[in-house]
Amino acid sequence: MPRSAARLASAAAALAVASAVFAERPNAVAQWWAPGDGRTLPATTSFTNEHGRTGILNTGGAIDTHGQPFFEPIGTNGRACVTCHQPADAMSLSVDSVRARWDASGGKDPLFASIDGANCPHLPQAERASHSLLLDRGLLRVFLPWPPRARDGSVVAPEFTLEVVRDPTGCNTHPVYGLKSATPTVSVYRRPRPVANLKYVTAAEFGVGPFNLKDSQPAPRDPATGKLVNQNLMADAREPTLTTQAISAALTHLEMRKAPTANVLERIVGFESQIYAAQSFDTGAGDLAEPGGPQALGPAALAAGRTSVLGNNTTAYVFPIGDVWRTVPRNGDAVHDAQAAARESIARGHDVFFFRTFWIKDAMHINTVGLGNPIKRTCSTCHGMHMTGMDTANGWMDIGTTNLPWATEKPLSPWAKEAPEMPLFKVTCDKAPAPHPFLGRVIYTQDPGRALITGRCNDVGTIVLQQFRGLAARAPYFSNGSARTLRELVDFYDRRFNIQYSDAEKQDLVNFLSTL
Amino acid sequence: MSTARLSTAIACLTFAAAAGAATPPANHRNFISCPIVRDTPTVPCWLAEYGGELYYLGIQTDVSAEFHPPLLGHKVLVEGTVKDGPRICGGIVLEPLKISPLAELDGTCNTILPAEEQYTVPFAPRPPGPSGGRLAFDAAPGSPRTAPPPLTGPQEFALYYDFGMLVGGRHSGILSRIYDYASSQRKPKLAITCHRGSTLLSDGALIVEREDLASDRARELVKLLHGAGLEAETRVEGVAALAPADGNADWRERSCVVRVEP
Repeated sequence: MPRSAARLASAAAALAVASAVFAERPNAVAQWWAPGDGRTLPATTSFTNEHGRTGILNTGGAIDTHGQPFFEPIGTNGRACVTCHQPADAMSLSVDSVRARWDASGGKDPLFASIDGANCPHLPQAERASHSLLLDRGLLRVFLPWPPRARDGSVVAPEFTLEVVRDPTGCNTHPVYGLKSATPTVSVYRRPRPVANLKYVTAAEFGVGPFNLKDSQPAPRDPATGKLVNQNLMADAREPTLTTQAISAALTHLEMRKAPTANVLERIVGFESQIYAAQSFDTGAGDLAEPGGPQALGPAALAAGRTSVLGNNTTAYVFPIGDVWRTVPRNGDAVHDAQAAARESIARGHDVFFFRTFWIKDAMHINTVGLGNPIKRTCSTCHGMHMTGMDTANGWMDIGTTNLPWATEKPLSPWAKEAPEMPLFKVTCDKAPAPHPFLGRVIYTQDPGRALITGRCNDVGTIVLQQFRGLAARAPYFSNGSARTLRELVDFYDRRFNIQYSDAEKQDLVNFLSTL
Repeated sequence: MSTARLSTAIACLTFAAAAGAATPPANHRNFISCPIVRDTPTVPCWLAEYGGELYYLGIQTDVSAEFHPPLLGHKVLVEGTVKDGPRICGGIVLEPLKISPLAELDGTCNTILPAEEQYTVPFAPRPPGPSGGRLAFDAAPGSPRTAPPPLTGPQEFALYYDFGMLVGGRHSGILSRIYDYASSQRKPKLAITCHRGSTLLSDGALIVEREDLASDRARELVKLLHGAGLEAETRVEGVAALAPADGNADWRERSCVVRVEP
């Protein structure tokens, strides 16, 4: 073979490999927004993903990101907020993007900073295996003091003891970073949440009072204003406001030496508050935000929508899509008819989400809030916030994503090739409080969730519900990245609650979720 | 189930001989058993069996309801009065009714009965899924809403508890009312008095809450109210002494009263 032909073949082979790697996200490299890029973020833009395109709407208009602290590496490790809140990933971070950055940078992108972009800082940072949870599940290390600390720094006396049963990352048993170190620390691994549509996430006009609706514990307040907050920020609701979250993130994820200035915080929060993200184009159904189309779809609908509205009813709806796609006429044109079929599937998927009943059983902070155990309800019972599918009240629940026996675990057997990836903790609740109503006094969990903040036995494994918008752009799902695809997410629910979805229902539901 | 077996199964309860061989009222049904769910074409209904008879407790609605259904996986203390009239879901209706899911887990409480044609709940205020636009027991749109008169002067707020339990989610409303009223005063004073209770069961057995529960309830209220930011001089009393139980609304003793003085 002539040398030029050999080079061509080699290049073609490389291209084939690259195509295979990025088949689901053809522009994963090109769409990456690096800290300090200085690009302009248009008022509206979109990014491709496997289901179509995700739209980003900046209600403040186009901005020059040069000097905008959300986009600048204001810490010491080269990261910016945008590192883990990528516009192409609906302001979150997809595992496709993570892998693309690893390959493009040889693992040297600031995303992989040892503090939390590695399974543990002590591991050899050049090795892929040291970053496996980020590369395989999109997880960042969240390290929290044990026992918990209140916001004033005082120690919260936990209702339970915590033991490390399994430690694949080595972090929880490490003499410097672990639970028995000089500064006892728990490391759990969680997905970054989307920094978009935050007017919904932070709204506090419904279901928020001096005491949490679900357990009557005192509700936190904004330290700056004294106003009550809704506790839907972050997986464990540990930060009350966008400002305190930005401070915490700057000091940890960005490794700033001291907290950002008030001006920097104001600019970060100001930017975060004007960004809306949602799928805007579906490869099957076409333009999701076309005039006269389903009113809930697309980022502009989110910008215009009402906050603090309970949508679990047939007046507001969680995701109002109307009837326009319920029956779409066919005209014999193959392209048109395929699009019509896709739109009808989305409408059916909405109805599966909204109307398909099943028994919700043994779910802490849903079956215990006065509804009974079990309750015969639908997805929208828990995912009831209008336009986002979050909870309107303080939104942490345990549906078994991190607590055994429901959490997804690698099977252990002589024939298994894969080892467990996640840490496993044994929680032993004190005898004085009532036992956890569904799990008793001994609980095994991959992530104690909210209980790492409150120290309460009933909060073990509870995680704040995430918003449903921009899902197509930001796989994997659940706080521990245990569902690689929307189908796996649906399968988890089907398994957990014995819903007995048909294959058609599952596909319709996936099609619906991917348009949000 | 005999009293002896029951006391073994439910370690948290203290059984005592009923003082003076008290007899509960004949039309009352005070018992501990597993709750049972019966599906219907709409919302499920809740039942419990006692003495070979099935009793109707209520239906699933939503958080606006007075009746909060029990929990499978736990036995439930039922304190009710037999109501004349047709059965619902196959059970004799108990009204008024107070139920308390017991704290300890019991895996034998796991019965979900399938829907049967003859069991329907046409009076259900909402379907099992999305509502028609309001919670089950909220005022209908357009109906006159009468705001409660503003509170003035000393006020007492009563909290009632499930058997053996501390504050739960259902108390957030009353706690908020206490907080709102007290925090609207310039120098509020709180007097918190808590009790534990006992219940005379229909079989003559007496179940008693643990002795330190009254003081635990009082301490918890102080912690919650102060934790919410209420600054008030607070006097606390946990009354360990038991009022005699007669099987007639004994649940009223499981309570705290918070008196707010401006």
